[in-house]
Amino acid sequence: METLKEDAQSVGNILLEIGALLMSSGANSNRIRVTMERIANGLGYKTELLITHRALMLTVLDKDQQYFFSRLKRTSPHGVNFRMVSGISHLSWNVLEQRWTVAQITTEINRLKALPHYPRLVVLGLVGLAGSAFCRIAGGSYIEMLVTFVATVIGLFVRQEAIRVKFNPYLCVYFASVTASFIAGLAEIYHIGAQPDKAFATSVLFLVPGVPLINSVTDLLEGNLQNGIIRAINGLIIAFSIAMGLFTVRMILHI
Amino acid sequence: MLTEILIKGFWAGFAAIGFAILFNVPQRTILPIWCIGAMGGLIKFTTMSFGISVVFASFFGAVAVGFVAIQMAHVKDSPPLIFSIPSVIPMIPGVFAYKFMLGMISLTNIENADAYLQTLVETVNNGAKMMFVLIALGTGVAIPMLLTRKESVKNSKFNKKKKALA
Repeated sequence: METLKEDAQSVGNILLEIGALLMSSGANSNRIRVTMERIANGLGYKTELLITHRALMLTVLDKDQQYFFSRLKRTSPHGVNFRMVSGISHLSWNVLEQRWTVAQITTEINRLKALPHYPRLVVLGLVGLAGSAFCRIAGGSYIEMLVTFVATVIGLFVRQEAIRVKFNPYLCVYFASVTASFIAGLAEIYHIGAQPDKAFATSVLFLVPGVPLINSVTDLLEGNLQNGIIRAINGLIIAFSIAMGLFTVRMILHI
Repeated sequence: MLTEILIKGFWAGFAAIGFAILFNVPQRTILPIWCIGAMGGLIKFTTMSFGISVVFASFFGAVAVGFVAIQMAHVKDSPPLIFSIPSVIPMIPGVFAYKFMLGMISLTNIENADAYLQTLVETVNNGAKMMFVLIALGTGVAIPMLLTRKESVKNSKFNKKKKALA
């Protein structure tokens, strides 16, 4: 019989860490399950797994079912990070194909966690450009695109600052929505551009909950109904926060 | 008309890149995301110019995005969702959502029955379009992943390597 190199406890702990990272980085439920099972197989263990939105429950078993380890881990609601999803996908194949050990996995996870995000100015600039792109697609001209750019950049800045001081995530979206639509609304009041309503409508589109909504549909189609519904409701509350922001600004400015 | 579609597709790519940066994608995937986003936009706007409804146009765009995202995932060695999610976001029906929301707000304080009915009809229309476009985008992206699951290229490559070793 092949002897296992790693004990069930360290395998279980590293698997839960990986699952929690995937969940907070924006992977869908099926990807989390497949990745964790692949890594467990590579290390010679079987897994039984329960995935929920804010917690993971895992049991690892060795093939003879002599040793097992169970643990529950809360997952934290950090932001979407596709670099982490991609890195963990590579890692899982390395474990399976090149027989990585738990020590190697831990080193790789720490390296992935330390990877830098894009510089803040790059993020602000390109998301602003995305805002003006939305405006162009909706039929706005260059003046409205400029208004949307400014509104998006300042709105995103407000959201980043609100997240930094740890406001409620939905409140962060609300603050950003109010800021962005207020700026676009001022442009509408002072009649900047021919179709200022296009700028007003598209200034908040950088907040749309794309990842929760698309992952929701993916989860629902793959039979993870519970997670799918939870993700959909999360997306709806974010959309509602955006709408409340627009509503507030329309009340203030009487557009 | 044609140039208008091309320009919209061009900008759809930039909308995709903005979200890609926001989601912190690996650097090597940024250019492909621009291409896939622009392609999805082009397909959606071209289909719409033939008089097909926005729901089906978005669905076709999203299915194309899903298929190319799977191919690109093997080329660039990153999971498909990294390409597909930023690329469908430009197709999100922002203006419908906005009009729907405005309609809902104005429904709370209209007195005149005729005006109320008029607003209600428009609001329901915008809301239905928004909802079905969102569903079309989600399913459109997911369908290629569901269809190709069994024959994942990553899996077959892995099997070939194993055979070569054995």
